[in-house]
Amino acid sequence: MTDERWLHALGQELARHRLTPDLTHHVVAEAAAHLRDSGQPALRAFGTPQGYAAAVVESLASQHRPPRRPPGRVRLRASQITKRYGRRTVLGPTDLTVRAGEVAAIVGANGCGKSTFLRICAGLLSPDSGEVVVDGVLGYCPQNGGTYDFLLPEEHFVLVGAGRGLDRARSRRLGRSGAATLQWEPARDTQARHLSGGTRQKLNLVMAALGDPDVLLLDEPYQGFDRGAYLDFWQHVWRWRDEGRAIVVVTHLLNQLDQVDQVLDLTPGTREAAA
Amino acid sequence: MDGPDGVDQDRRGQWLRGVLDVCVLALLARHESYGYELTQALDRAGLGQIQGGTLYPVLLRLQRTGLVAAHWRDGEGGPARKYYRLTPSGEEAVRRLSRQWRAFAGRVDDLLLEEVTSP
Repeated sequence: MTDERWLHALGQELARHRLTPDLTHHVVAEAAAHLRDSGQPALRAFGTPQGYAAAVVESLASQHRPPRRPPGRVRLRASQITKRYGRRTVLGPTDLTVRAGEVAAIVGANGCGKSTFLRICAGLLSPDSGEVVVDGVLGYCPQNGGTYDFLLPEEHFVLVGAGRGLDRARSRRLGRSGAATLQWEPARDTQARHLSGGTRQKLNLVMAALGDPDVLLLDEPYQGFDRGAYLDFWQHVWRWRDEGRAIVVVTHLLNQLDQVDQVLDLTPGTREAAA
Repeated sequence: MDGPDGVDQDRRGQWLRGVLDVCVLALLARHESYGYELTQALDRAGLGQIQGGTLYPVLLRLQRTGLVAAHWRDGEGGPARKYYRLTPSGEEAVRRLSRQWRAFAGRVDDLLLEEVTSP
């Protein structure tokens, strides 16, 4: 890759992260000056454009994020939840407490009961024992499914909005603006069955967050997202947290874990919520 | 690959990560400077070659947190460069951080010396 192409790619990548044009220009110009001064090839001095852009954005993000408010009241409390299917125990006694303004991540190997636990918290599945208490309105985003094949995206918004006491116009408006933040503009005449997997997940995520619920339960909602949308997703999570929502994210991608407030590892033998 | 002092690059990188911003602040306390010049100064100081991809995010963070200020200036016959200098809170920070670092490094030194010289 020539340096010129590298610098161009860096500019595009920074724009994708939605850096302002001004700031993007400064970062690219500074990298160009460095390359001229040092005589080094760009890849050696800065690594890939994607990697360098991510480092730049991260160095700015730490400042963008407003100072954390202390966590608020308990919004979700799951106590001693267990679940068996026949003879198979899918979930041993599990506890999780999440307060307003906190993000909890649920991690663990495939089949260790992450989705089962989240569905129980969402009230979609009954535990064999234990109790879930939710304080406030709850939004749930499943790993897949959850959309209606023959409905338009807007009809999904209206349906979910109605359940949260919103009228049709407001539901549509909130749905469309939620979609826009995920860089998705729903076509007015495309039924859900014709959407790509990643776009269906965006629809799921918009529905879960519609009307600003107090508790958000998200089951690996970014499957099929491209990288830009994936980064956007985590920005939303931090914003929701800063707005005082309680968020639970099932994830197998561990690189965000240092930023969450607690991690619940459901891998057998490690079952403990570490603060 | 080992550096001149025998420290392998991975470890040097790890050690440097926690203290690079302090070193940059200390260099800027001497006089204002730009990125490439800072990498040369760090190299001369024996800290090895810091790549631009490592240095500039540190400078951006220092700028964002108000410890350094930056402005563009034309080089003599060369390209425009972004010059960084300490702000008053940067001057305060470099005094505080270098004091803290020396105390910390001193404890590591004490521990290692004790370990090596004890029977």
